[in-house]
Amino acid sequence: MRPFTYERARTPREAAVAARAEGAKFIAGGTNLLDLMKLEIETPTHLVDVNGLALDKIEPTGDGGLRIGALVRNTDLAADPRVRKNYLLLSRALLAGASGQLRNKATTAGNLLQRTRCPYFYDPNQPCNKRQPGSGCSAIGGYTRSLAVVGGSEACIATHSSDMAVAMRALDAKVETVQPDGSERAIPIADFHRLPGDTPHLETALTPGELITSVVLPKPVGGKQVYLKVRDRASYAFALVSVGAIVHSDGTGRVALGGVAPKPWRDEAAEADLPRGAKAVTGRLFAEAQPTDENAFKVQLAERTLGAILTEARANP
Amino acid sequence: MQAAFIKHDGYQCGYCTPGQICSSVAMLKEVEAGVPSLVTDDLTASPEASLAEFRERMSGNICRCGAYSNIMEAIQEVAGRKA
Repeated sequence: MRPFTYERARTPREAAVAARAEGAKFIAGGTNLLDLMKLEIETPTHLVDVNGLALDKIEPTGDGGLRIGALVRNTDLAADPRVRKNYLLLSRALLAGASGQLRNKATTAGNLLQRTRCPYFYDPNQPCNKRQPGSGCSAIGGYTRSLAVVGGSEACIATHSSDMAVAMRALDAKVETVQPDGSERAIPIADFHRLPGDTPHLETALTPGELITSVVLPKPVGGKQVYLKVRDRASYAFALVSVGAIVHSDGTGRVALGGVAPKPWRDEAAEADLPRGAKAVTGRLFAEAQPTDENAFKVQLAERTLGAILTEARANP
Repeated sequence: MQAAFIKHDGYQCGYCTPGQICSSVAMLKEVEAGVPSLVTDDLTASPEASLAEFRERMSGNICRCGAYSNIMEAIQEVAGRKA
């Protein structure tokens, strides 16, 4: 690990100002950042600890939604009675992620900001455009079984690993932030994560120093809410494919996929085809897919996983 | 819990044992407090003190010796259920 300096921020704005400097990073739960620092994949020169900021509350919004503080731990969010009752998809997605110990530490904002688990990103001996911009992509032409089938580029085919973000995408969450100059904004989750293009090291819409203060859910949409995660072992593993779905009794609904793309993969036009069945939806979601021999199974797996959800939803609305 | 691990031989090399025991104690408290898990069927109800719940909640603790079945027997004894 490289040496770094450390400070505890006292206000969100102060944190944003401190983190604007080159080489500075926020630290909250540290469940991803510390691992990456030990491997020297992340090499911050200054850490701004945001744990002391009072951003750990879950509160109702004026229009019937829920404002989730950036520092609310994954365990607490999944267990919140309002989330379990009205945003079941979010609870299910959170509980499908990581392990109990990690969920106890990991925060809502940190979950959105976690880095990819592409094996080449984790191997400092191999070129990786995300880790070292311009060095090349070892994954393309390498071992691609776990990697993206859609949304990737010639520079990067890494997936976004978050389960929670898939649920947030399906629920139309907004990410609220504060900038170093004190201004605030709300970023729709659809625009929060970026596709890699030729700058895969830029992963979100956040600007230098910009701090996530909360994630806001709109008022509950009801429906049957399911998160189905398919992986190589039953627990404590990342998704090969995951499907977050909200299915209404008339057959309409929403679908977001994890494990297949550099960001939670949802297309509102595709999900309009939900009443016609899983194949109609995934056919559109994967229209631009460029799978490899090793990960082409994900396209079929996503269709079958969504199909299983729809079958179950019809049997037990 | 320590005594139950000894009684049920819930380890071989012992490397993971302190973590297994700490997680076992904390995990049982979480079940008692109603914290849900991936295998909790009804998220509006309290989770059951079942083997499936224990296994899921202990999945973050890896044991390379593979003492899992004996660890589960120790946990179930402490949880007041016979293995």
